[in-house]
Amino acid sequence: MRKWITGAGFALVLSMIFWCGTASAEEAAKELKVGFVYVSPVGDAGWSYAHDQGRLVIDEMEGVETAYVEKVPEGPDAERVMLNMARKDFDLVFATSFGYMDPMLKVAQRFPDVTFMHCSGFKTADNMGNYFGRMYQARYLTGMVAGAMTESNVLGFVAAFPIPEVIRGINAFALGAQAVNPDATVRVVWTKTWYDPATEKEAAKSLLDIGADVIAQHQDSPGPQEAAQEQGVYSIGYNTDMRAFAPKAHLVAAVWNWAPFYTEMVKQVRNGTWEPKAYWYGIEKGIVDISTINDIVPQEIQKQVLERKGEIVEEKFHVFSGPIRDQKGKERIAEGKTATDPEMLGMDWFVEGVVGTTE
Amino acid sequence: MTWEMLISLLAAAVQSGTPVLYATLGEIFTERSGILNLGVEGMMICGALAAFVVAQMTGSPALGFLFGGMAGLALSALHGLVCIGFNGNQVVSGLALTILGTGLANYLGTPFIGTEAPKFLAYPLPLLSRIPVIGPIFFQHNMLVYLSFLVPPLMWLFLNRTRSGLALRAAGEYPAAATAAGLSVSAFRWTGVLVGGFFAGLGGAYLTIAYTSWTTGISAGRGWIAVALVIFAFWHPGRAVLGAYLFGGVMAFQFRLQAMGTHIPSSLLLMLPYLLTVIVLVLSSRRGKGKQAPAFLGVNIEPSE
Amino acid sequence: MNQWLRITKRQERPAWRSCLVLAGAILFSLAVSAFLLAVQGRPPLRGLWLLFQGAYGSLWAIEDCLNKAVPIYLCSLGVAVAFRLQVWNIGAEGQYALGAVGATWAALSFPGLPAVFLIPAMMAVAFAAGALWGLIPAILKLRMRANEIIVTLMLNYIAILFLDYLVYGPWKDPVSFGFPMTPIFPPAAVIDRIGGTGLHWGLALCVVCGLLIWVFFRFTRLGYELKASGENVRAARYARLPYSRLVLLVMALSGALAGWAGFVEASATLNRLQPSIMVGYGYTAIVVAWLARLNPLYIGFAAFLLAGLRVGVENLQLELQVPAAFGQIMEGLILLSVLAGGFFIDYRLSLRRRS
Repeated sequence: MRKWITGAGFALVLSMIFWCGTASAEEAAKELKVGFVYVSPVGDAGWSYAHDQGRLVIDEMEGVETAYVEKVPEGPDAERVMLNMARKDFDLVFATSFGYMDPMLKVAQRFPDVTFMHCSGFKTADNMGNYFGRMYQARYLTGMVAGAMTESNVLGFVAAFPIPEVIRGINAFALGAQAVNPDATVRVVWTKTWYDPATEKEAAKSLLDIGADVIAQHQDSPGPQEAAQEQGVYSIGYNTDMRAFAPKAHLVAAVWNWAPFYTEMVKQVRNGTWEPKAYWYGIEKGIVDISTINDIVPQEIQKQVLERKGEIVEEKFHVFSGPIRDQKGKERIAEGKTATDPEMLGMDWFVEGVVGTTE
Repeated sequence: MTWEMLISLLAAAVQSGTPVLYATLGEIFTERSGILNLGVEGMMICGALAAFVVAQMTGSPALGFLFGGMAGLALSALHGLVCIGFNGNQVVSGLALTILGTGLANYLGTPFIGTEAPKFLAYPLPLLSRIPVIGPIFFQHNMLVYLSFLVPPLMWLFLNRTRSGLALRAAGEYPAAATAAGLSVSAFRWTGVLVGGFFAGLGGAYLTIAYTSWTTGISAGRGWIAVALVIFAFWHPGRAVLGAYLFGGVMAFQFRLQAMGTHIPSSLLLMLPYLLTVIVLVLSSRRGKGKQAPAFLGVNIEPSE
Repeated sequence: MNQWLRITKRQERPAWRSCLVLAGAILFSLAVSAFLLAVQGRPPLRGLWLLFQGAYGSLWAIEDCLNKAVPIYLCSLGVAVAFRLQVWNIGAEGQYALGAVGATWAALSFPGLPAVFLIPAMMAVAFAAGALWGLIPAILKLRMRANEIIVTLMLNYIAILFLDYLVYGPWKDPVSFGFPMTPIFPPAAVIDRIGGTGLHWGLALCVVCGLLIWVFFRFTRLGYELKASGENVRAARYARLPYSRLVLLVMALSGALAGWAGFVEASATLNRLQPSIMVGYGYTAIVVAWLARLNPLYIGFAAFLLAGLRVGVENLQLELQVPAAFGQIMEGLILLSVLAGGFFIDYRLSLRRRS
């Protein structure tokens, strides 16, 4: 009897080893291994989720295998994760948070045969490029809708952290609103959370209290949308079309769509046309866009917004074209000039008409 | 700040104080029996997930609310097992419960993110909601808020006016005397732990089926606030109400300050609720000489005969 | 249960039984974890193997674990000192934050100093800042009778927000494109690597601190009195120092050690201050201190184990796409089973004979 049990145990262990063995043999047959490093859990329905939707699309491509590691703190942990990806023969690594820039540069120098792509930074190397989307373009268009629909001329903005990406978005939103309604002002509340629905809803309510009648957000949760819906005012979504959360309030959303970009990168790396440069794509490539505009927005405004979108696509219009003054009235972008990419990447001031602090 | 804004601020305080209130009341009950359970955060988040999932599957938010409580109870049973059954350290077991609960809820909850579940909607109480000032602050919320009004007086009555309540407090204050009187201290401590866990689960459930939807990390530190408020409340259910609303109110207040265009950096404003908790705790600890923790809070009873 | 089982307190507690129980508890939690993996349709044994491989399966993995164990060890040592006196300091997280802030202040204020002066200066400021953050709850506890669990917990939030304020505001690097981080430290403010390895000298700091604490509790009268006072409050009356002095001492020491952990992280691994320095080491430290029964040597093992769990889970994610929360579940399970297992070290269970 005892022998039987030992025998069965051995068989079990052997089959396990065999199982592991076959699994790794299968992996070796794949062609291109692509790794993603995320700063938050992919389940957060926000930033990392949007990237992961892109990953899932390339995972379907012939001969492409993908993997990700989520909730990786910026700093040494990120460096270790990327090192391990390189050691495990990944061919292409995407890291999607600003703080991954320096760790990635270090790893890129140690593994020249691996292609590295960093999102939202500015450094490059022979085998490292960076990429981002011009979300501010979509923000501007949603600002136009908000500016046209407000009656109190007070727009509320629930925002996560005072970093350039968020500040740039708020500024573009304000400029869009002012383009159709010069009296519009934007009030900003910082929550210091990316995804805490209860807190973000509370922040939106405080904006409603001071008279805001359109709520926009740079948050990953639909909390602010729900607050607007309950109060019977309007809202502007972010990340994905958030209409399901607030069908009556939701006017339009500024949305991310990473799939085409990641597909293009995989193709480029495969056929050797990839270059280590800054890929900063905008609305013309569909990486950012606005969702369908709600029917309650008058047709003429919808038309105006779509016309402006066309001008941005054709590069006839630039969101940050001077003269643009900051909160204190100081001229930041002169007449006839437009903001350069480095200027936009490092934006840490609010345009005139925004009420709030950037600290 | 106008009059309307003040009323809306106070209403917001009640609204965002409610989940913390449920959890605080539960922890008061647990601690009165002599068991310290620092796992409130973990029980809340498991309650939040369970409530959301059950409400989604059955279409009944009330059933979801109940199962949220049950999830908190199930987790607290682990704490009971470790501390009452196996004589383990209560501080560490509570911490472990928070780690385990958060991990479990985030692990199992991923598929439910971004989905919808039926909710408790606002239901202004007839007549009461029309009372000026009081009405908009207290009686224009959902049923779970009204339910939370009933818990503190009932809990107070149970603890102070019933034989079982007295026995439960004896388990926390004079366990040796209670044993001598023929009471089963561990049975009452088990009751304290399970009821407390149930209420923590209810607090979490409120977040997902009355306020917003499920997401990873939804409890966002509210469980820890509840633990703090227990001491702030001196283990008294009535004062827990005050503490929970005060905390909710300060959080709501700092957002309104920002919305009105203050120039104080947001990091410093966000410190306010925590600073206030410390200050109030310090002030009230000094004055309240007679109101101390249950004498045998956190102390295990030797299991040997 | 008492109808069938008899519980008796054991007279002696041999080391082998503690080891056996510990191993049993860890095996039990591994089994539950394997079960959870199987439920999610992942191969359980391969999962556990990948976890082990990711943590300890290669030289660089072991180096990573050791580096990660350094801040956990220092925080945990601090926590253990306070726990010895039954002072429940759960504020290592905040004291760690303040230590990092203090070290950063020194590094940014005296950029011209050579390393031999700058590193000690950073250590001194970090020590003082951490100690200060530990003394606040101690003073409030003694003077105002405010519960230290709550005060240390609240001070954690306040410290983290203070760190946020600094890196989003006055200390923000002008060339960081507005991102919340201080300028990178001058080379003199960075702790060196040990020889040609990936390890840094923070590890040596751990060894020294651990030895000192061990000697303090084992061989000095004050240390002995502290331990005795913690085990029995009445014994505190016979100590040479009044209880209040003891509380101040342990909390200052506890905070200072956590502060050093912050210094090491800022200097050796991040080379700057940024919000991502806060990853919950202060809370992990409490778990570690308790797993190790407050013994400085065992804390080393426990810190290495938990660091390995955190590092190993990344491998599990990479190979099997298991969510990051899995590591937390394992951490909680290990802790709960070790706690429950402690029962079998102290007590004997035997079947009652039917009479």
